[in-house]
Amino acid sequence: MAGVTLEPTPVSPTPPAPPAQGGCGVRARSGPWVYSAPAILSLATWVYVPMVATGVASLLDWDLITPARYVGVANYRRLLADHDFHRAIWQTGWYVLMMLPLATVVPLALAITLWLRPGRVSSLYRALLFLPVVLAPAANAVSWQFVLNPLQGITNTVLADLGLPGPGWLNDPSWAPVVIVAMTTGKIIGLNTLLFSASLSAIDQSTIEAARVDGATSWEIVRHVIAAQLIRPVALLGLLCVLLAGQWVFTNVALVTQGGPNGATDNVYYRLYTYAFTFFDTGTAAAAAVVITVGVAAGYVLVRLAIGRVRHADAPTAG
Amino acid sequence: MIAVRHVGLRPRVAVAATGRHAAILIVIIGLLFPLFWVAVTSLRPANDLFSTSPIPWPMSVENYRDAIFRFPIGTMLLNTAIMAIAATLLQVTVAIGAAYALVRFRPRWGGAVVLLAGAAVVIPPQMLIIPQFLIASHLGWRDTYLGLIIPQLAACGLPILLLREYLVDIPTSLLEASIMDGARPAETLRLVVLPLLRPALAAVSILVFVNTWNEYLWPTLIAPQVNHTTIQAGLQLLGNQEGPTSGALLAAAMITTLPVLAVYAIASRRITHAFLQSGIK
Repeated sequence: MAGVTLEPTPVSPTPPAPPAQGGCGVRARSGPWVYSAPAILSLATWVYVPMVATGVASLLDWDLITPARYVGVANYRRLLADHDFHRAIWQTGWYVLMMLPLATVVPLALAITLWLRPGRVSSLYRALLFLPVVLAPAANAVSWQFVLNPLQGITNTVLADLGLPGPGWLNDPSWAPVVIVAMTTGKIIGLNTLLFSASLSAIDQSTIEAARVDGATSWEIVRHVIAAQLIRPVALLGLLCVLLAGQWVFTNVALVTQGGPNGATDNVYYRLYTYAFTFFDTGTAAAAAVVITVGVAAGYVLVRLAIGRVRHADAPTAG
Repeated sequence: MIAVRHVGLRPRVAVAATGRHAAILIVIIGLLFPLFWVAVTSLRPANDLFSTSPIPWPMSVENYRDAIFRFPIGTMLLNTAIMAIAATLLQVTVAIGAAYALVRFRPRWGGAVVLLAGAAVVIPPQMLIIPQFLIASHLGWRDTYLGLIIPQLAACGLPILLLREYLVDIPTSLLEASIMDGARPAETLRLVVLPLLRPALAAVSILVFVNTWNEYLWPTLIAPQVNHTTIQAGLQLLGNQEGPTSGALLAAAMITTLPVLAVYAIASRRITHAFLQSGIK
């Protein structure tokens, strides 16, 4: 407030809210640039320059210390011949298969059940079901590791009391990926139950009233009215969720098993991370990044196109 | 938001209702049991961690004392809070600017910006992480707040898309009236758009904050030291150092979870609403 003159300035010369680029004087023509410059610069610096750099690095032999050397597609050739990468791809497919029902059937059943009986209890259930989505993965990892401790954990203690053999869980190559999926399930079920609940509440009530007048039971309504309207969007949202769940799986693997035991919990994201930050083989990691991104992009576009078609086909789905 | 009208079901046998409750409760208990068990166990004495009683008796705060004295939990929580708050403010501010520019001026290149923002949301972070790490290291940002905060701008695509959706819903007549009145773009933003956008800003900020608070990969890489890192990366470092069956580690995990639980208990409706908005789009 220093230096106040008698001349009152009715309008502050610089825009207050967005960080203005290059000082004063917002002209009409430069307006859109001024307001979107911070966003465009942010995306350029931290998304698109890195993306291009990854593309370039995939053609280099580079360990971040010695100077990089251009090697053409050698990294890709090595990557596609790498058995660890093959295994990671298969296991990623296995994760997707395991997670699909958890992203579709289970949350849909929960959403329908809650929807049929709205009320205070249902709201509480809904809040509890969503809770894992906001819980921190690190604390979640500590909890699961403690509960599934093979020697002293509560799970194996109870199994032993029942006279059942307790598996090694995270130390057992056949159980470890199941545990990783179980750890991720909370987030998947929580998010999709919420989304499906919203889709359900968007269904035209008059259809349901009409069915009810015709004497339909709730099960018949669920089967004929709801299922008919929701089956495809549910399947597609489920697929989309599984694509996103890749990141949750990555975090859980990094926190709990680091890909082990014997690579049993490995997947393409974690393999890329291993190339980059365990082996410091930047070129191969970059090549893996390009291959994975192309794969994910293809999957995403397919799902998105399919959802678009569904949206046009039957209006009251989501949105 | 999810206000569902009662459909008026005819009274069915009580067994079905009980079955429904049981099914939902089994799922909820299955998902939340590990957390519950760690909460119970963290309150036992350190030499009684493997008791199978669901009631922590005799109760003890030994593990919590241990965690607070032996681990820099306060520092890690503070780091996480600083990172999450700063990154949220930064992303949302940047996104307000872009969304406003797109809707108010309708520039010809607007479609390209939307496309770039959208693609940024779905690119797997692993694709970008190596160059991001190199850029940040080159700037001398390892183990610094700048390093934790600034590169999170990579995630500003989602708030841009969400805020744009909200802004498009503002009647154009309002914007036009303000332009007719001779308001500068900055005034229109401050006096017309931002007040209307307040609920949207709350929802988007919650979403970004939760995502940033739970961010694991980036802090692990850019700030790998216990005293400089966030709680997500830090808990793992402590776990590696302590082993998975340390009472202090369990208490530390609970300390990191309690603020989240408290916030969720107060604002679960707002939080789910925020996720719903982003999920549907």
